Amino acid sequence: MTSRPNYLKPTNLESPSARKFWEGLRAGKFLAPRCENCGELFFPPRSHCPECLGDGFAWEELSGRGTLYSWTELSFVPPEFDAPLLLGLVELADGVGRVLARITGVTADGLYIGMPLIIRISNHSDEMALYHAEPLRPE
Amino acid sequence: MASRKKRVAIIGCGAVRVGRYPDRQESELALRVIRDALGDARISKKQIEGLFTTPDLQGNIGLQTNLLSEYLRISPKSMVEICCGAIAGGLTLKYAADEIQAGRIKIALCYGAVREASIDWFKNLTRGHGWSMIEPTALQPYAAYGIIWAYALSARRYMHETGATEEDFALAAVRNRKNAAGSPVAAFTKRMTVDEVIHSRPLASPIKLLDSAASLDGAAAIVIAAEEVARDLSPRPVYLLGWGLHHDNSCVIPTDDCRKSISHFTATREAAKKAFQSAGIKPNEVDVAEIYAPFSSHELIIPEDIGWYRDGEMVKAIRDGETEINGKIPINTDGGLTSRGHPWAATPLYETINLVRQLRGEAGSIQVKNAKIGLMHCEGGMMNNGLVMLFGRD
Repeated sequence: MTSRPNYLKPTNLESPSARKFWEGLRAGKFLAPRCENCGELFFPPRSHCPECLGDGFAWEELSGRGTLYSWTELSFVPPEFDAPLLLGLVELADGVGRVLARITGVTADGLYIGMPLIIRISNHSDEMALYHAEPLRPE
Repeated sequence: MASRKKRVAIIGCGAVRVGRYPDRQESELALRVIRDALGDARISKKQIEGLFTTPDLQGNIGLQTNLLSEYLRISPKSMVEICCGAIAGGLTLKYAADEIQAGRIKIALCYGAVREASIDWFKNLTRGHGWSMIEPTALQPYAAYGIIWAYALSARRYMHETGATEEDFALAAVRNRKNAAGSPVAAFTKRMTVDEVIHSRPLASPIKLLDSAASLDGAAAIVIAAEEVARDLSPRPVYLLGWGLHHDNSCVIPTDDCRKSISHFTATREAAKKAFQSAGIKPNEVDVAEIYAPFSSHELIIPEDIGWYRDGEMVKAIRDGETEINGKIPINTDGGLTSRGHPWAATPLYETINLVRQLRGEAGSIQVKNAKIGLMHCEGGMMNNGLVMLFGRD
């Protein structure tokens, strides 16, 4: 491995209110908080429910299935990644709106709006797991 | 319904050419344009009762207006540094007008001095420094280097929905560049072609270098006054006819609800609607417009949101030249953000100053014939916080 910089560390990224989400990623799960007060399921995780401002949550695993709503190919990227990098806005089937994710397993030529995608989790380093989207292929 | 409130008018303007001022402090640039604006308004600094400015991110810890008051030896009755994304320059005018209309002050000075090219805070985003503006969980790992990615996603979606092409976006960038040649403050004035835009360096597809507004340094100041004062002082006051402000609850690109559009923006639509209502005029009565499009794609999106065109109609309009200086609705006659350059928080003041020149009939080679009503649009936070102001002359 070359010694490319790695600023993607828990101390830089993992805000206290989203710690359970990041822990979930390390356990291979894509989690969202459901408000124990009003039942709202939302993403991304925050300290308080955006609907009722409750602050107690049960964490649920999302299917991560969705479709591509829009995308861009970034020609200049953070040092941890190779350029170009595909960034997609994915409409999740889980009812929590859209999620921004790096798209892997396909090139820009193969992308189209409406393309079925699924959120997958991979280890970025020993201490950090990240999510990305990849084409959902028939099983 | 025209407002019965007392009217306010712009009576003086000053601005430096947008560019790079590495050896100038913000306060020095500010004093330069303030002096020019006072001269243009033919008033003395002692007449300034209100002082309204945009954020200085370089460390006056919120004491910028205090500092400038000392440098100017003035004692304002009302002053504030407004921080609300790049809409800030427009909000200085709004809050100054509010204070005047409330009867608390008669003359206010609004200014913004920005030195973005001289600092590298964007670079820190890729060095492990979090950016509280965006959601760490969702974006932080990938979305470094500002929010160009959000505009790119928006542009791609607009193409998908309307059939617009990258050439259509390039046409807007080329129009801006042609207009910039006649601007006294534009940073980029060399003519360019659609082909040059298309083949410029890719940044975040479909956005390329020449589709983009460069972050640069700049400073602009505007003197705004109560109508009775303006009439005495100025041969050609430019009146604020109405304004609208709307924030659509997303900080950057809407993600929490799949029904929210990213190719058109509620904030712009609502702000424009309120502005037209409060001024009692219709979109087609606007003679000249300045819109806040940091990327050429949004030169097509914003006019549709303001109401000059239905969704997707700007594609034909840009091809037909309807937004050129002699067109149906002349837009960004001094080069817009992409060619004037983009000293972010000061940009809405630059936009307004170009409208004042147009409405005074002082715009020279870029003058729109007999311009009577001008529209200024600005935004903060990727089109989700919109301000639209309408200006006119008697």
